[in-house]
Amino acid sequence: MQLDLTDDQELFRETTVRFIESELPVSRTRLLHDHELGYERAWLRKSAELGWLAMLVPEADGGGSISGAPVLDAAIVSELLGRYVQPGPFIAMNVVASALAARGSDKQRAELLGGIAAGETVATWAFADAAGNWDAGAGLQLQRLGSELVLTGRRGFVADAASADWLLVVATLDGSPIQVLVRADAPGVRVAPLTCLDLSRRVANVDLDRVVITDDDVVGAPGIDPVESALLHAVVLNCADTIGASQALFETTVAYAKDRVAFGRPIGSFQALKHVMADQALFLETAEAGAVAAAEALQRGDDDAALVVSMAAAYIGDVANDLAQECLQIHGGIGFTWEHDLHLYLRRIRFNSAAYGDPTWHRERVCTLAGLGGGAT
Amino acid sequence: MSDLDAYRTQARAWLAANLTPKDPSKVLRAAHGASPEQLAADRALQKVVYEAGYLGIALPAEYGGQGLTKQHQRIWNEESARYAVPAPGGIASHVTLGIVMPTILAHASEQQKRAWVPKMLSGDELWVQLLSEPGAGSDLAGLLTRATLDGESWVLNGTKVWSSGAMSADFGVCLARTDWDAPKHKGLTWFKVPLADDRVTVRPIREINGSAEFCEEFLDDVVVGPEMVIGEVNEGWAITNTMLAVERGAGAAQSGATPAPSDRRLAPDLVALAERRGTSGDPAVRQLIARAHINDFMQAQLTRRLGEAMVAGSVQPVVASFIKLGLGIVQPQRAAAAMEIAGRGGVAWALDDDPGSTASVNFLNGRIMSIAGGSNQIQRNIVSERILGLPREPSPDGDKPFRDVLRDARSWGKKT
Repeated sequence: MQLDLTDDQELFRETTVRFIESELPVSRTRLLHDHELGYERAWLRKSAELGWLAMLVPEADGGGSISGAPVLDAAIVSELLGRYVQPGPFIAMNVVASALAARGSDKQRAELLGGIAAGETVATWAFADAAGNWDAGAGLQLQRLGSELVLTGRRGFVADAASADWLLVVATLDGSPIQVLVRADAPGVRVAPLTCLDLSRRVANVDLDRVVITDDDVVGAPGIDPVESALLHAVVLNCADTIGASQALFETTVAYAKDRVAFGRPIGSFQALKHVMADQALFLETAEAGAVAAAEALQRGDDDAALVVSMAAAYIGDVANDLAQECLQIHGGIGFTWEHDLHLYLRRIRFNSAAYGDPTWHRERVCTLAGLGGGAT
Repeated sequence: MSDLDAYRTQARAWLAANLTPKDPSKVLRAAHGASPEQLAADRALQKVVYEAGYLGIALPAEYGGQGLTKQHQRIWNEESARYAVPAPGGIASHVTLGIVMPTILAHASEQQKRAWVPKMLSGDELWVQLLSEPGAGSDLAGLLTRATLDGESWVLNGTKVWSSGAMSADFGVCLARTDWDAPKHKGLTWFKVPLADDRVTVRPIREINGSAEFCEEFLDDVVVGPEMVIGEVNEGWAITNTMLAVERGAGAAQSGATPAPSDRRLAPDLVALAERRGTSGDPAVRQLIARAHINDFMQAQLTRRLGEAMVAGSVQPVVASFIKLGLGIVQPQRAAAAMEIAGRGGVAWALDDDPGSTASVNFLNGRIMSIAGGSNQIQRNIVSERILGLPREPSPDGDKPFRDVLRDARSWGKKT
């Protein structure tokens, strides 16, 4: 992703590649397509030994980053997960880790962060409304009834909800967004898995019917900032995943165009095809520069990080989908077969572009964040 | 205070005392060439900047520079961005310092560099490119201007076109054919040509936007001495590649003269158009504005990243074609978006409707970056063949002696 890697990060990246290529190369990810949860817990724990889930967890809580720039370290992993279409709750768990690290109580940190960093506890982030849209918690009501807090409503399109032990849900209390921890097996929680376009991912709707929690489960104070921060982490990691998937697919396509012969020439010598690939190379190069800018803005905590992150997400979502379509076109018939890996990437990229705000939503958000008056929101 | 901080303070004070801030209402109006008085005044002002040490900041002293670092140059770029820095002849000045000078520094002899570069910096000499021809644009190596050896001197004949700013310039760097028996890329040589010579005719070209920024030049038996040859005879194509990479963004990206990524105001021209029409709340208009702004931002990020990589030496200057192709794709889209937001205001406007008239001018100019300096299609060939390593398109003319190359389109495909 063109990050300027330190020596430690370079070594970490190489170790991560070796781990993926020995544990779960793309060919073997296919064996998990019919797996109910999409991944094995034992694999998740092994991956955690490399530090995949510990980057955003403070050292005092059992975590630690590679370089002291945890967002960039996590982006390195995320890019490789996209490149090798890896399954699992990486993005969601890192988002929960960042939220608890920033605002969790001592009890919450003790109960969850060590387990997350070790891959023992699976946690996911439930932020969207029933249609999968960002609603800042409006679709899930948290009400105070006497000494109890009661949650009622739905969180849609929740990543890896079926395998999660804990949910960090975005709800509304007295009109303010608030994040609370809910045990996945708590009475009243019902997980309804959806069929997912991306064969490497699992998503579900989660209905919460009078789920009772306590003040101990509330993460930080009400307000939009914590929820926004979680969103930015999710979007940045999701962008890196898309970049990795796009690079892998594009490299495969360029190689194919060099090897495939038609009309007595390699098809890559035809301008009708090489010009398409030149455009896609440019868009990918630009998308990478955008992904780096977004990750660095979030890592630094820039005032306009949200703006930069949404600009990158809108751009990357659009160009990656176009790139995947053009790669299919260049492959022709072979790319339309189940056996070819192309569709694994096509699906992953399309899913990513809908997962944490689609490009249209991010563009409207850019207008709002930049202060263009007159919008609907 | 560090050396760089001190330099910034000093540059800031000098700018405030010696130059006037930019007047945003006076940017890029139709350039019909500066009047002789304006040109003389701008040259005089450039000399003031030069003599204060703010031109050629990172160049060695023997070429008239200050011998400071790229960081010093970057500081000057940042600090001077708000000021009307003199650019005699407008585009001619940018070509002299931004395209010709880096090429001369890379390829001319030591003696030539010491003699020529200080005069470019001081504003005494404006240089432009004599490159394209009526029959050779995208296929530049197919050019027909000839240079023939006569004793020790060279005699040049031919027609050049699309030379930005030539009406204000003193010299041109001219690419001419010196060997007609060699393949097209192997018989080309660069010359320095005085534009004031009686045998050079410079004529402005009126463009689709009504202005005349470019010229054509007719060379009729122009005689130049051997000291005017730049690089080796018949080895001009390598120099051309350097010049084109600089023109396509390598120069700007490496010197830090790129739009500051910190300028994150939402596409101000498009917002002005929408507000004038009262459509800034229209979701479709907001999508257009955001898309244009995002593309601008991403292009700046691309330029910054590639510029840093070029400076670090981790990529070749050929990646400048990414920057050029990016502009060539985005600018027509942006011009079209502005016209869509402008609505009928972009096709007919009242005298005081600046946003409407700006949109219409940008619409007419929308294809400049996709054609000039190597069209999008040429950049796509470069990216696909030289960056992605895709196989070359079979070439019917690349290897044969240039005098045997097809010139009559109607005889294409017929057996000879």
